[in-house]
Parts: sequence; C-alpha cells; structure tokens
Amino acid sequence: MSAQARADAYLGEIAARLHGPRRRRARILAELRDGLDQATADRITAGLPDEDAVITAIGRFGAPAAIADAFADELTIAYARQVLTWFVVTGPLVGVWWLLLLHPAPWRGSLAAFVAAIPVIPLVAAGLAATVITFATTGRMIRWLPEAGAHRAVAAVISVAGLVIVSDVTIVGVYLGSHAPATPVGIVAVAAAATRVGVSLIVVVRATGSQRGSG
Amino acid sequence: MLPMRPELLKGHLDALLLAVLEPGAQHGYAVIEALRSGSGGTLDLPTGTVYPALHRLERAGLIASDWHTVGGRRRRAYHLTPAGHQALGEHRALWDQFSAAVAAVLSGRPRPAST
Repeated sequence: MSAQARADAYLGEIAARLHGPRRRRARILAELRDGLDQATADRITAGLPDEDAVITAIGRFGAPAAIADAFADELTIAYARQVLTWFVVTGPLVGVWWLLLLHPAPWRGSLAAFVAAIPVIPLVAAGLAATVITFATTGRMIRWLPEAGAHRAVAAVISVAGLVIVSDVTIVGVYLGSHAPATPVGIVAVAAAATRVGVSLIVVVRATGSQRGSG
Repeated sequence: MLPMRPELLKGHLDALLLAVLEPGAQHGYAVIEALRSGSGGTLDLPTGTVYPALHRLERAGLIASDWHTVGGRRRRAYHLTPAGHQALGEHRALWDQFSAAVAAVLSGRPRPAST
C-alpha cells in the first residue's frame, strides 16, 4: 500500500466513525488530513522513507476510534445547535398561520387574551427559553456560564422537540375541535404543524438513540 | 524524566493553548509540536486532545480561525482574539498564584497568608 493510500485509509476509518453535521465533519477531516500530511512531511524531511514516515505519523495521531471519540462531544453539540436553530427558524413560519387563524379579536387584545386564544403560547415560551439557555451554555457565553456537555445539549433537543410536538398537536386539536369552517389558511396551518410534528418525531428518535449510544 | 499524566493538565490546557498561539497564528499540528518542543518533550499531547480543545476555545470566542490553501492543502490557522489575550493574562496571574502556593506547601516552607 502506498503512503498516500495508507493515509487515505486511516482518515477513511476516522470518517466512518464521525457522526454529526456533514459540514462540521468535513472540516474536522480536512484539518486532520492537513496535520497528518504535515507530520508525514516532517518525518520525510528528517530522513525517513515515505511509507515509514506515514506509518509513524499515523502512530503519533492515534487509533481512529480514539480520534473519533475525541470529537464526539463537539459533533453532538454542533448537531444540537443545528436542530435548535431549525426549530427557532421554523417556529414563526408555522406560528404565523395559527396567529392569523386564532388571534383574538380585536388584534389589540391583552396577553391573557392571546394565551386564551392560542393556549400553546406558554409551551412556545418554555421551548424558546430552553433553546436560549442551551445556546448560551454551549457557545460564546461558556466563558462566564457553566458549560453544558453533549448530554445536556441532547436533552435540551429532546425537550424542545417534545414541546413542539405537544404544541402542534394541541393547536391542531383546538382548531379542529372548534368546528371552524375549512379555509386555505387553516389547511396551510394544519399542514405546517403536521410537517413539523413529523420532523420533530424523527429528531426525538435520533437524539434519544445518540444519547443511548453515548451513555 | 518522570512521566506526565494527562490528568495533571486538566484545567491548564486552555492556558497552554492560548500561550502557544500568543506569538501568532498556527495550525493545529503546529500547536501540538509547539507544546511538545516548548516543554522539552514533556507535554506530548495526543491529537484527540488538542484539536477538540482548540475548537472549544473557538466556540468560547477566545481564538478564531481562518482557512487558507497551502501547497494544495486546506489549512486552518488559529489566532488569539482580544478576549483570548485577556483570558491568557488572567490564566497567567492565576497560575503564578497557584504554582507559588503549591510550591510553598510541597517544599515545606509555608508562605504568609495573603489578605
């Protein structure tokens, strides 16, 4: 096996063990490849034959499983932040239809009137709070706040996805239970909520699986 | 030389990485080599320790990174941010205090209590 093929096989073994957002994995592998190539070049400069150089460089880097394990927490946190960002972005896209459909009349109603008309508002607020806390304790704020590990980040994802499912199922139930006439806005709102429930269920299953796998 | 157990570094790795990056930007493997050569071979840290620690420091905003191409390879170089420079200063002050206290106790010559 050539030196290059040996390095490719080694990085391929690491790549197969990395799980998380695709772009993040690609950046990690690009960085490892550069480091491995540099380590090999240093050894060739020091007088080792190409193949011995790559073998000793790989030995210096460590076993593929150990390298992949070392990046597991980082990738899990990146996944959690990506999923929570998706929930934050899709929240208004789904919520706006329910707001148009169920808002109290007139629009200038108090917060209590809004909560009475759209009873899932406290759940949405709880999900947003959990998201903000997770972003703060896994990002720049870790200089001042207690840092959340991968397990806590995944637990936050499961909690937020659970809140989203309960919220969407509840609001659809409220709407259908009101026997309001079917309108285009109502159909779009139900479709948007159903889509998000489906995605949220997939998130819960995957996140629960990753938590069990790393537990 | 006595073997250096990795757990002894716990709590000091951030400071060591920030110190290595203080003179200027370096890529991950160069950071590993700088730690090793700067410590006379004592701090020979594994790849799986250094790269994730660099990424964590970047997440905390203490270092930043840029990608560029060197010899056809994509390379990521890290540099200190203003917050990183400040954090390094704080780490140094804490280390001076901590190491003086530990040295005093280990040597059997207790230092006078500071107020």
